[in-house]
Amino acid sequence: MSNTTFFLVVQAVNILLAPLLLVGIIRKVKALMQNRVGAPVLQPFYDLAKLLRKSQTVSKNASWVFTWAPIVGLAVGLIAAVLVPWAGALLPADWAVATNFLLVIYLMALAKFFSMLAAIDTGSAFGGLGASREATISMLVEPTLIIGLGALALGTGSTDLLTIYSAPINPFIAVLVGAALVAAALAELSRMPVDDPTTHLELTMVHEAMILEYSGRSLAIIEYAVALRTCVFFGLAAQTLLHVWPGYQDMAMLSRYLVSLGTLAVFGIAVAVVEGVLVKLRWRSVPNFLAFAAVLSLLAALVAAAQI
Amino acid sequence: MVTYRLVGWVSAYVFRRVSCMSVSELLGGSGVWCGAALLLWSAAFLVGVCRRRYSGPILPTLVLAGNVCLLLVAFAGGTRTVTLPLPWFIGDAGFTFVIDPLSRWFLAIIGLIGIPVTLFSPGYLQHLRQRVSLGFVWAALALLMTSMAGVVLSANALVFLVAWEVMALSSFALVAADHEQRDIRRAAFVYLGATRAGTAFLMTGFLWVHHLTGSWSFADWGLSGATALAPALLILVGLATKAGCWPFHLWLPIAHPAAPAPVSAIMSGVMIKTAIYAMVRLFIVGNHIAVPAIGPILLILGAISAFWGVIFALLQHDLKRLLAYHSVENIGIILMGLGVSLLGTRYGIPFLAQLGLAAALFHTLNHAVFKSLLFLGTGAIDARTHLRNVEQLGGLIRRMPWTAAAFIVGSASICALPPLNGFASEWLLYQGFFNIARSGPTTGARFGGLLLMGWLALVGALAIACFVKAVGIVFLGVPRSPQAEKAHEAGPGMVGAQVLLAVLCAVLGVGATSVLIPLGKITALIGDSGSLDGVWTLPIPLLAVVLVLTIGAIAAWMQLLARTRPSRVFITWECGFGDLGPRTQYTASSFAQPIARIFGAIYGYGTQITVDDGKRGHFPQSVDAETTHEAYLETKVYMPFLQGVQRVASVFLMRLQAGSVHQYLFYMAVVLGLLIWVGVRG
Repeated sequence: MSNTTFFLVVQAVNILLAPLLLVGIIRKVKALMQNRVGAPVLQPFYDLAKLLRKSQTVSKNASWVFTWAPIVGLAVGLIAAVLVPWAGALLPADWAVATNFLLVIYLMALAKFFSMLAAIDTGSAFGGLGASREATISMLVEPTLIIGLGALALGTGSTDLLTIYSAPINPFIAVLVGAALVAAALAELSRMPVDDPTTHLELTMVHEAMILEYSGRSLAIIEYAVALRTCVFFGLAAQTLLHVWPGYQDMAMLSRYLVSLGTLAVFGIAVAVVEGVLVKLRWRSVPNFLAFAAVLSLLAALVAAAQI
Repeated sequence: MVTYRLVGWVSAYVFRRVSCMSVSELLGGSGVWCGAALLLWSAAFLVGVCRRRYSGPILPTLVLAGNVCLLLVAFAGGTRTVTLPLPWFIGDAGFTFVIDPLSRWFLAIIGLIGIPVTLFSPGYLQHLRQRVSLGFVWAALALLMTSMAGVVLSANALVFLVAWEVMALSSFALVAADHEQRDIRRAAFVYLGATRAGTAFLMTGFLWVHHLTGSWSFADWGLSGATALAPALLILVGLATKAGCWPFHLWLPIAHPAAPAPVSAIMSGVMIKTAIYAMVRLFIVGNHIAVPAIGPILLILGAISAFWGVIFALLQHDLKRLLAYHSVENIGIILMGLGVSLLGTRYGIPFLAQLGLAAALFHTLNHAVFKSLLFLGTGAIDARTHLRNVEQLGGLIRRMPWTAAAFIVGSASICALPPLNGFASEWLLYQGFFNIARSGPTTGARFGGLLLMGWLALVGALAIACFVKAVGIVFLGVPRSPQAEKAHEAGPGMVGAQVLLAVLCAVLGVGATSVLIPLGKITALIGDSGSLDGVWTLPIPLLAVVLVLTIGAIAAWMQLLARTRPSRVFITWECGFGDLGPRTQYTASSFAQPIARIFGAIYGYGTQITVDDGKRGHFPQSVDAETTHEAYLETKVYMPFLQGVQRVASVFLMRLQAGSVHQYLFYMAVVLGLLIWVGVRG
């Protein structure tokens, strides 16, 4: 089987299964930590199927932005999931130009732009609150992402993710950037300690406040897009950290893929443990938390700049 | 009528002179169209001046035709120099104009923005008819366009200064168009003061360079070394003032909102770019003033401008002022591109120099397109609601669907979201920074390159926050005032102009590779041609198709699901307290608060909350929350300086100018004596 076919099959399976499975794992581990049996690991799939079958309620104030934002979000999520080498199965080499990290980050910003607008669209104060906080978080996260990935990219001189991850990375830089990416991903994906995805008080939420008005099939595709983004971000962090291990580069494609998925599962468990033992930060302390990520990125940039 | 006789005499004279010119000189393609644009605009100017209350279709048609001619010049090829055989001279320089790829690029910007603005204006100006004489506005607009074309075509400093001053004065007249309002008069005077100060610096710099080189022609202005530093800095300050770069940007957020919307579009989109043109002409291409310090200075000023503009924009409630601050931001981004270009020259990397220049010029075009689109959208809202305060708007997406859609495209474009044009130029700039990080000579320079990438990301994310606020509060939700409630869509000309610009945003973004072809001709002026060929690697057209198809497929799937389970329309979730009103929506101030608080130290951001409990403790009757901020640059730097100037003036100048005729006669005699003495000696 040629590499391209292998990649296409693997990536399709990945995109369909891995995101919701990861969500299921996180929920299960959290339940176990709280001495609950918890829902089955496959519960997110059942939820998705249920939501898709239900009708939806739309606010009378909503415009086309409200209807189209989740669709744009899912489309961007799918494209990002295809392009970003988050599961270690590397893409065909001639796709490299499309995996430019600036393009991917700005594509995600496009989805975020529409989701923030959709949150304001219904005229609900919760939506505005969530959108405002989301804008603040992404303002704090994006420089970290771009400086960190830029530091990684200095090694190969290309800003294409595929090229970056096909070459060996200085382990020191990989550790720093990997840690920065993990912290940035926690904020970007609205997870603890920045945002609590399971809270039930609208005033304290970020992401959940933004999607408060969604129901039925729109909610289903939002949930799926979020799960996709979770995989992409954690996968990127995992790939960066895996490059610390010198043997990883030389592995066969299949074993690299399996190791990557295993790492993602470990990430899921780690996230669940963090959410089980930590409390959510006060909103005003979030910038301090993200400042750590920014400092890690800057350190990586300094090392990378000094080493060339 | 003296005016008509004068017009007849002037046109007869011009005709006689022009017919004397050799035919081949005029018929060189570009020359003809330039002349045609000049004639059309002169005609518009004369008609407008003679008939100040005119509101028919002739003036817009003339101005529009002039813009079309300009576009034709822009798309012709070759480099030409034309000297007008006018009988008088300014100094020892002739009326010489040069058309080369660089001036063509800016002519294209003028024409490209001029056309939609001219289409938009007749509809917009209707609601100002009572207060503004329309013929006068068109005359000034024609003059402004002529002078902008003159600035980018002039081959020597004297013609440049003449065009520059006409540009300043005609735009001053346009800012002051609605002069019965006190605020607008004040804004016009602030603008006039700023342009005077800028020109003073520029003129001093030009005189100094003339002194060093002995020529007025830009082609002879090849200077380098320590002697060039002082004049270069003077010129830079003059141009930075016009461009609205930090810390000389103060006039911009005051003057641009005061002008009628189409004029704001021209000023923000095109006029301030003439300063960018002059920077490129004087410091980068051809025989230029080579001062190594300019590169880092532009990079630092640009970086501060970009950040400063966007964080102040976030706090603005006046939609036009918000857009004006975004002009400061985007000028900063353009200047960073120019800085990268100069650093490339300094590091001896010609590719980097070309890349930075291409990014800056591309962003100049893109900013012109999306900023004029956004200003026109604001104009449409203003014409229909007479409101510019975002806190009183809302829900316009249902009432003005086309304006809303175009405004959303423009916002996505200014936030550099792919596949629109803002992304294309910012991506090039990112590549410039990355190249500094990759091949800079020192660790500091390389680290700086990465830092600048992060800085641009920060500015971009702030711009997204700002435009989510603007679009969300203005167009989405429920109307916050009766005027917004009663709004309806703008007329076909106004909508058409916006749609045209929105389409242009998409075309320039998806077709970025084609835009790089004329840019390659400009960058060939500073290095090898064709070295930028491989720089654009992104498959944006393919990606745009995939994105649209994916969105279409998901939407079709949603439709399929909706067939069996239709959507139900219901009220927004209100926690069970009954239907929500417009006042329970989120406000622009609240939206900006988290970010404003983080950067609070920069502008003394504060919130005052007053609770009137009417002696009922926990059941207050009214709660007032007000946010305040202070622009320290204005209150702590410029105001004390201006007050000092005033104090000095009141002590010394008032004595000199005390109203005594004898005193004035004495001054005249002294000056006359001095002049005679200089003449006899010289």
